[in-house]
Amino acid sequence: MDDVKQILQDDNHELFSKEDMFSKEFPSDYRQIRYFTLMIVQKAPPEIKEINLLEQQISEIIKNAVKHGNKSDPDKIIKVWYTFTTEEARIIVEDEGKGFQNIDKWNAFNVERQACLSKEDYIKLADYVAYRTEESDDNDGGNAMFAAVEYWNEGVVFKSGGNIVAVGKKFPKKHPGIEVSEAL
Amino acid sequence: MELKIRKSADIYIIDVNGEMDLYNSYKLKELVMKMLEKKIQKFVINMENVEYIDSSGIGALIYICSTIKKLSLKLLIANVRGSVKKVIELTKLMGYFPITGNVVEAVKKLTD
Repeated sequence: MDDVKQILQDDNHELFSKEDMFSKEFPSDYRQIRYFTLMIVQKAPPEIKEINLLEQQISEIIKNAVKHGNKSDPDKIIKVWYTFTTEEARIIVEDEGKGFQNIDKWNAFNVERQACLSKEDYIKLADYVAYRTEESDDNDGGNAMFAAVEYWNEGVVFKSGGNIVAVGKKFPKKHPGIEVSEAL
Repeated sequence: MELKIRKSADIYIIDVNGEMDLYNSYKLKELVMKMLEKKIQKFVINMENVEYIDSSGIGALIYICSTIKKLSLKLLIANVRGSVKKVIELTKLMGYFPITGNVVEAVKKLTD
């Protein structure tokens, strides 16, 4: 079985470095999550947008902060720091909530999920397709972080308070001038 | 997101158009639940014109898929492509979902 990717907890992780990052603040308005995401992702070079995959992945992080962190409380804000190049995307999101407290539980759940996937045990997998807590509602897919730990290949890292998350992804280097045939 | 229903014999094809996101994915769930109340047994969800899907959209598909499986009814998801395919691949659920090539293939499989 492949090493199972985990959500990390590390106050001193390099992904928390805010040097040369842009920043924005948003109110916790659930209706505007995709709009806030677009305001951030417009800074990204088209090469790394992968149609709308980058947008989708950022929107999940922002949604978690607005909905699960700040409980869509209009008096609470989220802060977002972000930087994009053709080779890397990084964002940090801070909310004013009580923090993601179930990281160990989530990681243990994901180990079980990965075991089902490796064994192609789709019957047992049915119990592991979505991570739900007593706070989940019908609109929570419960699968966003499974994709996040795969997509953000530099890591998904929380500070110990659980209300600040940093994610980063490296993209393969492009070599201008060298044409690689896709026809095999 | 716009949902349209077509019918081929006893097979109901739901064409999903637009974006399956946190604001509207519940509509597909609600539609399928209503169709189940009407005792429909064979479903094809056509994703050909879905340009964007997020975790709520994937969640809706998981809910529909597991509900239909529990009832031992038939479901196929057709035309999974582009960024929809990428998001499903990231969640590693390509093998979990009953995915098939296109609507014609899906209808044929459900007819046999």
